[in-house]
Amino acid sequence: MSGSWMTTRAWLLMLPLLVVMVSVIGWPLVDTVRLSFTDAKLVGTEGNFVGLDNYAKMLSGSNFQRTLVTTTWFAVISVAAEMVLGVLAALLLNQQFRGRTLLRALMILPWALPTVVNATLWRLIYNPEYGALNAALTQIGLLDAYRSWLGEPNTALAALIVADCWKNFPLVALIALAALQAVPRDITAASMVDGAGPIARFRFVILPYLVGPLLVALVLRTIEAFKVFDIIWVMTRGGPANSTRTLSILVYQEAFSFQRAGSGASLALIVTLLVTVLAVAYAALVRKAAGSTS
Amino acid sequence: MSALEIQNIRKSYGAVDTLKGIDIALQSGEFLVLLGSSGCGKSTLLNIIAGLAEATSGDIKIGDRSIIGVHPKDRDIAMVFQSYALYPNLSVRRNIGFGLEMRKVPLAVREKAVLDAAKLLQIEPLLDRKPSQLSGGQRQRVAIGRALVRKPQVFLFDEPLSNLDAKLRLEMRTELKRLHQMLKTTVVYVTHDQIEAMTLATRIAVMKDGRIEQLGTPEEIYNQPATLYVAGFVGAPPMNILDVEVDNGALAIVGSDIRLPLPDRFKPIARDGARLALGIRPEALRLAPSASQAAGITLPVRIEVVELTGPELVATARAGQQRLTACLAPRTKVGQGDVTAFSADDDALHLFDPATGRACPA
Repeated sequence: MSGSWMTTRAWLLMLPLLVVMVSVIGWPLVDTVRLSFTDAKLVGTEGNFVGLDNYAKMLSGSNFQRTLVTTTWFAVISVAAEMVLGVLAALLLNQQFRGRTLLRALMILPWALPTVVNATLWRLIYNPEYGALNAALTQIGLLDAYRSWLGEPNTALAALIVADCWKNFPLVALIALAALQAVPRDITAASMVDGAGPIARFRFVILPYLVGPLLVALVLRTIEAFKVFDIIWVMTRGGPANSTRTLSILVYQEAFSFQRAGSGASLALIVTLLVTVLAVAYAALVRKAAGSTS
Repeated sequence: MSALEIQNIRKSYGAVDTLKGIDIALQSGEFLVLLGSSGCGKSTLLNIIAGLAEATSGDIKIGDRSIIGVHPKDRDIAMVFQSYALYPNLSVRRNIGFGLEMRKVPLAVREKAVLDAAKLLQIEPLLDRKPSQLSGGQRQRVAIGRALVRKPQVFLFDEPLSNLDAKLRLEMRTELKRLHQMLKTTVVYVTHDQIEAMTLATRIAVMKDGRIEQLGTPEEIYNQPATLYVAGFVGAPPMNILDVEVDNGALAIVGSDIRLPLPDRFKPIARDGARLALGIRPEALRLAPSASQAAGITLPVRIEVVELTGPELVATARAGQQRLTACLAPRTKVGQGDVTAFSADDDALHLFDPATGRACPA
């Protein structure tokens, strides 16, 4: 069988996938780029070419800058907390104890729940009139009166981060648990004979095996957290006073609430670019970590 | 006072008894090899000595101190693992010095100890490499170095050469022997390789089903096997075991009309009509110059297979219905189908009671 026929056949086999990808990813992306250089509205006018005006307006606007800070805070704190909680949970679930299998199964539950269900659940917990959090805190004496956790700008973002952590730390725990089970028993035993205590054992023996898989979790979770939309939309819609407005919410508002398709598209592309930069940086880190433990 | 004393150690996992009462006393500088097939309990015993597993009952003393319940790091032992168990992210230098680092030994002292060990093991140029940049043999040297720097009272080796190829295994075996002769350390070494056991040990404990079948020097284990299991396990090819019956002061090979004279030393204990197992090492057999030889025994055989291994000619033959193997000189003129005879000295004969598996006292 000739090489050229093999190549032709390979392209033919890939063709259906290519058609799907071009229609659902390629074309919308190209059209978004085109839109971002126009002043098009969502309904009605096709829009006129305005060059880089949309980008300039967005990047220099206070809305974008404030939202970028909020998004960064949300991503950094929630991902960091998920990493710590996930690793701690994995270390715990890697121990031998009765009911371990059941606990491992239960732990996955928050992650397996749809985000909308999770968000509604937490909205109920934070409810200013009958929420469980207020009840618990007042009953143990940490709170004098019920508060509106999602209604106050200084607590809303923290409340969202807690809800996001609860939903996503099981994924990190799952990845860490799989990595922990790959730590050779002999190496752990050798470190015990060598006199390493629990902290030294974690640092020198276990952590090198966790770094690679955790970096993968970090990449996935940071990208997800950076483009977070659903949990915030269900719980606060970006409020109060835009204190929980993230970039994806801003894109939505710009494109659909204010119907400015052109500037919405430019904002979406800026977010895509930021996420791509993050992904590339993390991929380099993962490659480096994989090289050091192989 | 023994350097290591194992007293009636038992280990059970639920209803399964893995170790059924092990007693060994080891003098300082001894090299004890725990030899046995998979599942005999040898690694479990080593892990119990190391503190990586708990004994169900019994006591272990290092010097005059019981180490039962003592954390592995406080037992004054060092261990070398089959998989090397090197820390992948640390350099060779830090791997070797890790035990000292954890014990907060000053850096200068640590550095000197690491360099001394590296020099002894000839791995000085590798000190700044990571384990992933080393070959199997080099990794094993690093693992040994990590044990050496600690200068413990007892070294534990868990099948340390199993992951190496045949040539490297031979080199490392010699290296271990050299180190032991030089350092005179007390060693407990687990292996299923009888050649390793024979060449390295000052004493061998052959284990089976959680018990010690025989504890003795390599010469004792090879020349005076205490049980049929030891006779069959130690030696390659293994000892020939023939079913015989004592008949009027002779040994009749069952299933044939071959009769062998009963050596004098067995006469007091071999009663007429007793069914016994006759053991003869393949190396003890030679091609008889004639069917009636004056000294020892002569066994008429038909040659079935002849294999030249290089240093010897392994001939598999039949005596009556029973099969046996002989290791002959490589240039012996013998071929498939030949009807001939093997001879052996009286001393080379071993008798076992097939019911108990124990050797008949000579």
